[in-house]
Amino acid sequence: MPVATLLTWLVVGIVLALPASLLVILQNLEAATQDMHSPARFSVLLSADATIDKAALVSQRIGARMDVADVVFVDKEQALAGFAADTGLEGLLASLAENPLPHTVLVNPRDDLGSEELAVLARALDSFDGVDEVVFDTLWQARLMGALQSGRRLVFGIGLLMVMGAVLILANTIRLAIEARRDEIVVIKLIGGGDAYARRPFLYTGLWSGLGGGLLGAAMAGLFFLYLSAPVDQLLQLYHSDRSFSGLGVIGVLTMMLFGGGIGLLSAWQAAAVQLKDLEPR
Amino acid sequence: MIEFDRVSKRFADHDALRDVSVTIDTGEMVFLTGHSGAGKSTFLRLLMLLERASMGTLRVDGRDTARVKGRDIGRYRGEFGIVFQDHQLLYDRSVMDNVALPLEIAGFHPRDIKRRTRAALDKVGLLGRERVNPAALSGGEQQRVGIARAVVARPRFLVADEPTGNLDPQLSAEIMGLFEAFNRVGVTVIVASHDLALISRLRHRIVTLKAGRLVAGGGF
Ligand SMILES: Nc1ncnc2c1ncn2[C@@H]1O[C@H](COP(=O)(O)OP(=O)(O)O)[C@@H](O)[C@H]1O
Ligand SMILES: [Mg+2]
Repeated sequence: MPVATLLTWLVVGIVLALPASLLVILQNLEAATQDMHSPARFSVLLSADATIDKAALVSQRIGARMDVADVVFVDKEQALAGFAADTGLEGLLASLAENPLPHTVLVNPRDDLGSEELAVLARALDSFDGVDEVVFDTLWQARLMGALQSGRRLVFGIGLLMVMGAVLILANTIRLAIEARRDEIVVIKLIGGGDAYARRPFLYTGLWSGLGGGLLGAAMAGLFFLYLSAPVDQLLQLYHSDRSFSGLGVIGVLTMMLFGGGIGLLSAWQAAAVQLKDLEPR
Repeated sequence: MIEFDRVSKRFADHDALRDVSVTIDTGEMVFLTGHSGAGKSTFLRLLMLLERASMGTLRVDGRDTARVKGRDIGRYRGEFGIVFQDHQLLYDRSVMDNVALPLEIAGFHPRDIKRRTRAALDKVGLLGRERVNPAALSGGEQQRVGIARAVVARPRFLVADEPTGNLDPQLSAEIMGLFEAFNRVGVTVIVASHDLALISRLRHRIVTLKAGRLVAGGGF
């Protein structure tokens, strides 16, 4: 019995530790990306009728701002020629009566600006004479968010499979426990015990197995994080992050135990419902 | 009052009981006899609602037991104390815990459980053996534990299926004496036994079955 219990705890623990570890790693990644200084960049599109001299002047004045690190001026003729060369559409583009591209100033803000100050800068750039539109380049962030989003889905997918596995293991444990105590259940029913009375000890077994599995899973995840935290912290330092790897914490351990206990209880209920129905006497 | 009213029980193509009508009064003690396979156990199993009649009506205190279903079955069985030939004790716990089981099922307070369990063990002469595992007891002692468990919750009916089947004549007489003692304090007792020598010495009604049919002692 103690060996069997320990084995159940171990298996349930392993099955819960995997998704829990992935989730914690994902949370760390999300936290790390959130406070990484975004290398934000604005594309300032000038009005179509701005002359090259005027455009160069605007570019210069933007570059002189305190909150701007540097600017790159993109001449529209240059841009079109580059585009034509890149695409091989020189002939077609040469036939255009007018260049459809505007002069553009690529603005790199100082990298210590917060989102508040970036918004202020964006408004300021928009109000410059001759500026048509300010585009905030968020493509890389969107990509990262997309990656994290799919990571999250993957974790939930794996988690769901693992939890289903845990439920099957727990339900089987209860099924075996009921099988082993068949005589007792028959006697209990013979002398007037109902299903509820016969089921109770197995619900405790389920709860106990789940709680233990959750605790053991948390311990395994904790060991894994211990192994992981030193190299991850080094990596974070490399990116000047003042963050360090955060593991499960007390809340995480309690959550895993509660979750384990919950699925233990549910599995036991399910297994007992099926088993007791088949057990004579009714 | 227990009334079997033209009750039949059919298993596949075999009639275990056929058209049996028996009335047992409250407070009565009745023996149920007949050869092996006569239908004694089936009679008791129908009474305990472990089986259901194929035909006929079984009434207890005027109530048709066909209407007792689901959760009520436990409560219904709680009115019966039941003793088995093979004791049906649980060998993973003490004598005390075996006897306490019906009280635990009924949800008694632990203090009352202890008091009533000791009282029941006292009645069957096993006080002082509470902590022992029943496996360490003799067959006769184990049967007395079974009887203590059957009477501990003060049932209105005491039902026993071949309770002396594995015991020598002297122990058998002792066990029957216990049943008579419980009957004297008002418990309705029904004992199935094929030991005619034993039961004919005791002055109680004898209901005789033969191949599923009632041949004597139906009453009224
Ligand atoms: N569950 C069952 N399925 C099929 N036949 C049964 C079942 N229970 C009893 N019988 C049959 O019913 C008849 C009566 O059995 P039983 O009531 O056990 O007799 P007794 O207890 O008098 O020896 C026997 O022929 C037995 O084989
Ligand atoms: Mg029998």
